[in-house]
Amino acid sequence: MTTPLLEVRGLEMHFPVKEGLLLRSRIFNRAVDGVSLQIKPGETLGLVGESGCGKSTLGRCIARLYQPTAGSIVFNGRDITRLKPRELRPLRQDIQMVFQDPMESLNARHTVGDILEEPFIVQRLHSPAERRQRVAELLNIVGLPARSASRYPFEFSGGQRQRIGIARAIALNPKLIICDEPVSALDVSIQSQILNLLIELQQEFGLSYLFIAHDLAVVKHVSDRVAVMYLGKIIETADSDTIYRAARHPYTKSLIEAIPVPDPHRKISRQVLSGDVPSPINPPHGCAFHPRCPEAQDQCRQKAPTLQALSEGHWGSCHLIYPPV
Amino acid sequence: MLQLNPQTAKKLQRFRRIRRGYYSFLILAGLLVTLAFGELLVNSRALVVSYEGNLYFPTYTDFHPGTDFGLDYAYETNYRQLKKQFAAEGNDNWVLLPPVPYNPYENHAPGGTFRPLPPTAETQHYLGTDTTSRDILARLFYGTRIALVFAFAFTASVYVIGITIGCAMGYFGGVFDLVFQRLIEIWSNVPFLYMVIIIFSVIPSNIAVITRISILLLVMVLFSWTGMTYYMRTETYKEKSRDYIASARIIGASNARIIFRHIMPNVLSTLITFMPFTIVAAISAVTALDFLGFGLPAPTPSLGELLKQGTANLRTAPWIVIAAFGTLVILLTLVTFIGEAIRESFDPKTHAVYR
Repeated sequence: MTTPLLEVRGLEMHFPVKEGLLLRSRIFNRAVDGVSLQIKPGETLGLVGESGCGKSTLGRCIARLYQPTAGSIVFNGRDITRLKPRELRPLRQDIQMVFQDPMESLNARHTVGDILEEPFIVQRLHSPAERRQRVAELLNIVGLPARSASRYPFEFSGGQRQRIGIARAIALNPKLIICDEPVSALDVSIQSQILNLLIELQQEFGLSYLFIAHDLAVVKHVSDRVAVMYLGKIIETADSDTIYRAARHPYTKSLIEAIPVPDPHRKISRQVLSGDVPSPINPPHGCAFHPRCPEAQDQCRQKAPTLQALSEGHWGSCHLIYPPV
Repeated sequence: MLQLNPQTAKKLQRFRRIRRGYYSFLILAGLLVTLAFGELLVNSRALVVSYEGNLYFPTYTDFHPGTDFGLDYAYETNYRQLKKQFAAEGNDNWVLLPPVPYNPYENHAPGGTFRPLPPTAETQHYLGTDTTSRDILARLFYGTRIALVFAFAFTASVYVIGITIGCAMGYFGGVFDLVFQRLIEIWSNVPFLYMVIIIFSVIPSNIAVITRISILLLVMVLFSWTGMTYYMRTETYKEKSRDYIASARIIGASNARIIFRHIMPNVLSTLITFMPFTIVAAISAVTALDFLGFGLPAPTPSLGELLKQGTANLRTAPWIVIAAFGTLVILLTLVTFIGEAIRESFDPKTHAVYR
């Protein structure tokens, strides 16, 4: 067994909800509530879940944009959970991020050249001439013409902008890239181009991805393993074939049934999820999914399930699917 | 070379298309240049003196005592007299005077008594003289110059302090923000006019005029920077939470770099929009203080002081108030027109940078 590149244990990110005269917080938003996961070198872990389930927060914790409130993040054998900003700077070369909306994540006042050059300036790498050369190389890698460097982000289409975002993410030769819904803001026809670019880059540079999405169909295309998140917790994880063929958790099953299939004769027997994700400020008792679960029983309302092994590499968190003791 | 962001270029283009603002800007810019070289236009010193084959340019040099030009006194030459004298002598010596040959401090009372004289081209008092027989055009000219320099210095200082503190409040947030907000609330409730009156009654009257002007500037800045922090704080809060800041942090950019390279340029348009209105406010404030007698110390030429004289002698010397009031109206209208045009051309609603 290879050692994992990234190992997250019991990660919690509780945001204080501020109120009162002195802004003292008594209530917390449990955006991420005890998540453990591993990513091996060269592997892609897909992370899926509905909006507001904490998947983006988890990604940002791992990228250390947020300071997690509990748990640990071990990257390449080194605990990075409590590193100070100064100590984080060299680490930034290894963990990069691709954001959802490239228009938001690229500073509209900088040229593409400025944007792609900035990682080298910040990390004090290369001479100015080398930097410009690297920018041209990066543009070439992501399939944009070299003259793009002198233009501004708004002059590009959505897909081209996301290519710029990806070029910036690979500029420092990272080991892990957190892709936070990198294709959700794009047209369907462009999505596959970007996904293929990500896969090519992974093969060329041996990258690992944490691929966050709310769309199982997209995740299926790129992931080796998939983790399903619900209300700040991982409720099922397995390799991607298993998830699609033999999902066990009722939530995962309903997500998979929601994937559109291009077959007009397919019988429609979907379990359509009703309602929204409950508030992470005041989560339901017992299993967080029970108010929406079609198979909920009494024990689900009383006791919270834990993640348990169902078979080799397949873990689930539901009272109804545990193997008999 | 300065390469403009196409967004900025577009804004400037639109500013130029708003004629009223653009022409106001051109006029004001021209006025500023004229004021900057004012010594060549409005001055009691001659531009050129040709005396016994030598050329003298006294405008920007040390003063020439009368003895330099064969006169019998050692104090500064009276060039107007010198000109008449040379003309009377009829030899090769000559004097070239500025169009308005008076400075704002001298009392030019040919009759011997100080009294306001109506405008006349004969003595080259084109706007008349004030109650102590000083040339009104000269006083307006230098008064405007001082008011504008004062207003620009005021605006610059207020912006530097307001932007720094507002940005820091928005960027660091938390306790820092909370403490500063409360401090600003308390501070902005201290009555400004009282403070000015108290301070100027305490400081000794024998200190230099320039020091007194600096103190006035300092007091005005100290009581005006708070307004800027509100805008900067909210703008910074808004920008800070956007993904382009997250993406700058993820490559390891420092706080200073994020503030100066990323946040500042994106909030700049708000600041530029406010700037002309701050200048208008500063000119009005310093004029009002002068009018009340708490502003620029005498004998500094100032619009407010002329207004005060003018209203006191409304019937006997109406030309004083007309000149001062007219200048003030023109000046404030120009700056306000510019401000309006900037606001319109920088309006984010017609010009969204982001979706």
